Amino acid sequence: MNMLTLPPTIPILSLIWLSMVLPVALIAVVPASRATLIRVIGTGFALLSLVLSVLVFLAYDQGQSGFQFVEQLAWIPQLGIAYYLGVDGITVPLLLLNGLVIFTGALMSWNIAQRIKEYWILLLLLTAGVYGVFVALDLFLLFVFYELAVLPMYLLIGVWGSTRREYGAMKLTLFLMAGSALALIGMLAIYFGSGLRTFDIPRLAANVNFEQQYQVLFFLPLFIGFAVLAGMFPFHTWSPTGHVAAPTAVSMLHAGVLMKLGAYACLRIALWLMPHGAAEWLPAIAILTIFNVVYGATIAMVQRDAKFMIGYSSVSHMGLVMMALAAGTQIALTGAVLQMFAHGIMTALFFSVVGRMVYERTHTRQLGELGGLGRVMPFAAVMFIIAGLSGMGMPGLAGFWAEFTIFIGVWERYPLLAIIAVISIPVTAAYVLHAIYRVFYADVDSPHLHDLPPLTWQEITGALILAAVLIGVGFAPGILTDMIAAGVRPIAQQLQGVGW
Amino acid sequence: MSFLLTDIPRILPEILLLVLALLILGSDVFERWAADEQAALERHRASASLAALGLGMIFAITLLQSGYLYTVPDTADSNYFTNLLRNLQSGIPRGSNVPLPVMDMFATDHLTIIGRLLFTGAAFLIVLLTYDNPPLRNPGEFYSLLVLSTLGMCLMAGATELIMLFLAIELTSIPLYVLAGYFRNDRQSVEAGMKYFLYGAFSSALLLYGMSFVYGYASSTAVAADLTALPTSVITSFDTLRELIAQAGEPAPILLIGMLFMIAGIGYKIAIVPFHGWSPDVYQGAPTTMTAFISTASKAAGFFLLLRVLDTVFPNVVGNPIPVFDEFGGWTGMLALLAALTLIIANLAALPQTNAKRLLAYSGIAHAGFLLMGVIAQAAPFSTDRLNGVVALLYYLVVYAVMNIGAFGVIAIVAQDTGSDEITALNGLAQRNLGLAALFTVFVFALAGIPPLAGFFAKFYIMLAVWQANAIWLVVIALISTIPALYYYLRLLRAVFMMPPDISTPMPAPRWMMASLVVSAVLVLVLGLFPAPLLDVLEQVQVQVIAGR
Repeated sequence: MNMLTLPPTIPILSLIWLSMVLPVALIAVVPASRATLIRVIGTGFALLSLVLSVLVFLAYDQGQSGFQFVEQLAWIPQLGIAYYLGVDGITVPLLLLNGLVIFTGALMSWNIAQRIKEYWILLLLLTAGVYGVFVALDLFLLFVFYELAVLPMYLLIGVWGSTRREYGAMKLTLFLMAGSALALIGMLAIYFGSGLRTFDIPRLAANVNFEQQYQVLFFLPLFIGFAVLAGMFPFHTWSPTGHVAAPTAVSMLHAGVLMKLGAYACLRIALWLMPHGAAEWLPAIAILTIFNVVYGATIAMVQRDAKFMIGYSSVSHMGLVMMALAAGTQIALTGAVLQMFAHGIMTALFFSVVGRMVYERTHTRQLGELGGLGRVMPFAAVMFIIAGLSGMGMPGLAGFWAEFTIFIGVWERYPLLAIIAVISIPVTAAYVLHAIYRVFYADVDSPHLHDLPPLTWQEITGALILAAVLIGVGFAPGILTDMIAAGVRPIAQQLQGVGW
Repeated sequence: MSFLLTDIPRILPEILLLVLALLILGSDVFERWAADEQAALERHRASASLAALGLGMIFAITLLQSGYLYTVPDTADSNYFTNLLRNLQSGIPRGSNVPLPVMDMFATDHLTIIGRLLFTGAAFLIVLLTYDNPPLRNPGEFYSLLVLSTLGMCLMAGATELIMLFLAIELTSIPLYVLAGYFRNDRQSVEAGMKYFLYGAFSSALLLYGMSFVYGYASSTAVAADLTALPTSVITSFDTLRELIAQAGEPAPILLIGMLFMIAGIGYKIAIVPFHGWSPDVYQGAPTTMTAFISTASKAAGFFLLLRVLDTVFPNVVGNPIPVFDEFGGWTGMLALLAALTLIIANLAALPQTNAKRLLAYSGIAHAGFLLMGVIAQAAPFSTDRLNGVVALLYYLVVYAVMNIGAFGVIAIVAQDTGSDEITALNGLAQRNLGLAALFTVFVFALAGIPPLAGFFAKFYIMLAVWQANAIWLVVIALISTIPALYYYLRLLRAVFMMPPDISTPMPAPRWMMASLVVSAVLVLVLGLFPAPLLDVLEQVQVQVIAGR
């Protein structure tokens, strides 16, 4: 069942990530003085990649299982490395997520005026990396894209960021690279452990019954290495500092999509390719994630800086994703992927309101100094409320379905943890409502709020798109859940197969 | 064995290098020698362009001769070109069919050919980097020393006999001592030259001492086996040494001591811990372009030598790098310890550096640690597999040379403009010259091992090979050591992108220096994205190394 058929000769997945590399070459030759042209090129290609992602979404045949739009070329045959692309029910929604976030992020980047050429080149390279990770079916290729997605962040935060940007950028980069070094150990272990001498993920997934001791030993570095990027406790500390320091579009991409790369890699590689190791370690990981969920939410409550609050809320929400991965059942995994999508859109909306609409005008993010913004910027207030309600799991918004599914899934496996995790819901509601009150409705006559320039069309369009998706998925979650459920089924079965 | 006329095409690149060196030295006499700037510039340009052209041609001839691009099929029609090419390629190995060493002392196998290509290619890029320098006092001398040193490196790669080995090392090193101290009025340069000379002489002594032990051990075996008829020149050849050592049975301590001293002597040349002390001082003080040459070509030559000596002379003392007490030992075990030490100490020592050249010196030491891992991996008994250490090592050497020349090249341009090679001299480079900053980013990320640049694949392949040799502990140490490494590489980029420039005028980038850098950057990208063709070529070396054991 697909709504649209693409001609099979079009390498659409390659086109998606190349649509982010091509403008890099274009922008490199445009003189830096033509600022608007650079912005138009960047935004135009971001829109193109979104359109391509939507095409993939529409053309994906939900009736068929397995990978679709497969492209395979020999790359480094000496080592069993191939250029191998394909998407399944997990990655199609994530591609869509990335398309939405990069397009709206590009719209939110129009105010960047300093060193504009480098900014757009790095932003687009980063996005190419993210797209690449989602479409790659070869471990080596996936790792290459993974690093490509992480590294530009250092310069993006360090040059265009705000609060403690150099510290934030360095901390983030070192944490993530340490994570990928750990993950690389695990990937080499799969390569040698399986004895197949290939990096082909589906082939490796079909032969996972290699030495159990080996898997138990190397699952941990693999999972933890990727989980660092997903912000798992106790390796989450880079994330709030990084988010706060980053410029708006980078925060959006980072919290919205990049952290999902970590969770996605945990799911696709660690759980799928080392199920015996997973069966051994998942309970321990589940206990760590409870800290993410509850501790993250509690810390978010006491933040005074709105961006820090969102940063810690991301830690908490990504904790739910990781907890669902640790539960490892069909329902929990479905919830995990849905939460990745919902949280990605929600966080992007949060950051575009707080980082772009509010901070760029008022030059403060302190909750106490922003009171009464609702009268000055009613549109921003509405958008913030929509994102906030989705974050606290209000029915009718995407976040509700995701969290609901996760709690059901986790309950099947760890009822006690599910109960503890539910504490995060009232805490989330508390800090979101508190923030809404302080920022938009508290009666403070703050000097920051006088003579604010009106919102630009880019800001309004971007925010509206994100809000519309949150509401759309909230009312019709079926457009994603069926696809995701089919996508995670092989992984859930893999885990079941080893007695999980 | 005597010299045959048919050996001439086999050592053609070396002959051409010698001719080139003499030509540069001689042609300088015909230039106008005068005190004015213009005359000095013309002399400098004349020598530099002759050196660049010559090295470029020798590189091209070696490439044609190697047959990696194109081999004349036996069925091809005879015409002028096919005959020329056929003559050039005669005596060059095809497949695993290796001709005997020339006069028992210089092998012309694939390993030597790769070495020639690497050294002449690196020397070519270095000469381009020096083209736009302020004119040298004696350009003829400078460039002919550079070419002579390159010749020495080629001989190092092919030496299969102890005396040849020693002469090759000296021919490489002595010109480099002079080149490191070339700026006679600069205290640091003089210090660098002096230090380099003292350390180099000391390491040569160690090497000779080790060689004497090995020779003594082997010749006493020969006496015991009543092989007294063997002339000295035969006993010193690597193949005879190996056979005599094998005949003696269980290796005696004296042989191991000899091997240890030889490894220590070569260890100085390749700057691994604990023999690295000279390198930061020398790298910092020497003219930047010469630092680039010393840190790449000279280090690579050391590795070629190490590979050949250990593989052909000591295959039965190979040991094991597996961390099990009973099995650990031999030279792989020892090199594994040295590699681990090198990786840890060099990466930590690089952290507090404030001088860009010094920082890159420590980074070069750390890279030597990775290269040592390649030497260990290729010795593993099952390296006939698709994954093999020789390929990993040589690929890493090629990539390391290219990216390091690039990084030092950028420092050279910056130092020429700002007069300083501190990290702070890089401040705001992105605002002063974005193209140069982009090139520097490519080189630094490649050195740090970030995909898709070649530095990543090089590290990745080495780690695969070492893992396969069961030294997983070494892979883990290497991976962990990349994290502090990333920190200090990012400090360079922080200066380039995040620090405000001291002056905001654009930084001029001389044409030929940029050309050299662009070539290097393109190579770093292409070798990273499409390593398969180069791997195919390097696999031929592996076949021979296995056959030669």
